[in-house]
Amino acid sequence: MGALGHFLERQGIPTAGISLVREHTEIIRPPRALWVTFELGRPLGKPDDAAFQTRVLRAQLDMLTRTDGPLLVDYPEHVEGEVDLTGWACPIGLAPRPGDTLGAEIARLTTWYDRAVAARARTTVGTSGLDMPAAGRLVTEALEGALPPALALKLAIDDLRAFYLEAASAFPDPGTSKTRKAWFWDETLFGKALLALQPKLAASADPNHKALGTLTMIPATERYRLETPT
Amino acid sequence: MVRRLGELPEVEAKHLSPERLKCPTFDDTPLLSGKPLGARRVVIISTAGLHKRGDRPFDRDDGSYRVIPAETPASELVMSHISVNFDRTGFQQDHNVVFPIDRLRELTVDGTVGSMASVHYSFMGAFPVDAAEPHARHLAGMLKADKVDAALLVPV
Repeated sequence: MGALGHFLERQGIPTAGISLVREHTEIIRPPRALWVTFELGRPLGKPDDAAFQTRVLRAQLDMLTRTDGPLLVDYPEHVEGEVDLTGWACPIGLAPRPGDTLGAEIARLTTWYDRAVAARARTTVGTSGLDMPAAGRLVTEALEGALPPALALKLAIDDLRAFYLEAASAFPDPGTSKTRKAWFWDETLFGKALLALQPKLAASADPNHKALGTLTMIPATERYRLETPT
Repeated sequence: MVRRLGELPEVEAKHLSPERLKCPTFDDTPLLSGKPLGARRVVIISTAGLHKRGDRPFDRDDGSYRVIPAETPASELVMSHISVNFDRTGFQQDHNVVFPIDRLRELTVDGTVGSMASVHYSFMGAFPVDAAEPHARHLAGMLKADKVDAALLVPV
């Protein structure tokens, strides 16, 4: 991100950025950066809190009139961690049963996903171009047979991950985003399928499959779940 | 809350270490002066790997950008960033927490900023610097054609 500030300012466009990792910005030294302590993935701090987002944006805009840089300003507000709901259990009986399949799990979640889409009037599913049963079949085929092209598989996985987490946000007791992510890895067949798929991808001779297996499928914080953590 | 890398769990701190990510360095930092905010035309440039549903998704080592017209409905915005190491549930809940287009529009209406660009943009932040530089150079020309004189850079 900081590199873009250098490139654009050099081409005549004044810039002001947000920094999520202060140490990176201290090295890159872009023209103007507002350091925030928010969770990675939430640069404006709080979803559905317009007043909070506006305060962050104003602080970022205010830097634009300054030329005494490189500027690295610490934003004064923080977002406290979510309430600890350790022990939160999914209120819907979605736990896998013997003989259960990924396709059946996807089918069970569809009604909750539909509720989430209706509530928000939007979805972030839709990068792969596949419907969710087809995305599930692609993952199953990857597990059981030949690996499909890495990008197609990655996009199908991203769509399914968004589908699961959006569905869970519509449960009667949705918990928090943190507990829903724990549910995804602890309790779903899809999470287990990704963990099972990882060694096969990591062992592939195709560098794109290998990158998917070692870098861009299992978050760093969840790799301890792998039989052979990377 | 992410304070400093030293305060994060080891696995996350290691993943985000500047050495591992090879943060680029620059000999100097240009800083341009400009008009007061109330007279500026502002663009949002995200690095969240955002694009309209149906646009070409981002791939590894992709230094190019995607175009997001200002009138794009939130229901058309998707994210194909290759990294899985950041939260996406915030974006699922409210696109403005990643791409604050509605907040910028409000600040345009109340006169805080002069106007909003007709088109906004997204890169995917995991780009190799050399791959993005020519695209950024091209983008600067597009911004000038849209009379943009301020860019808000929003990471993910």
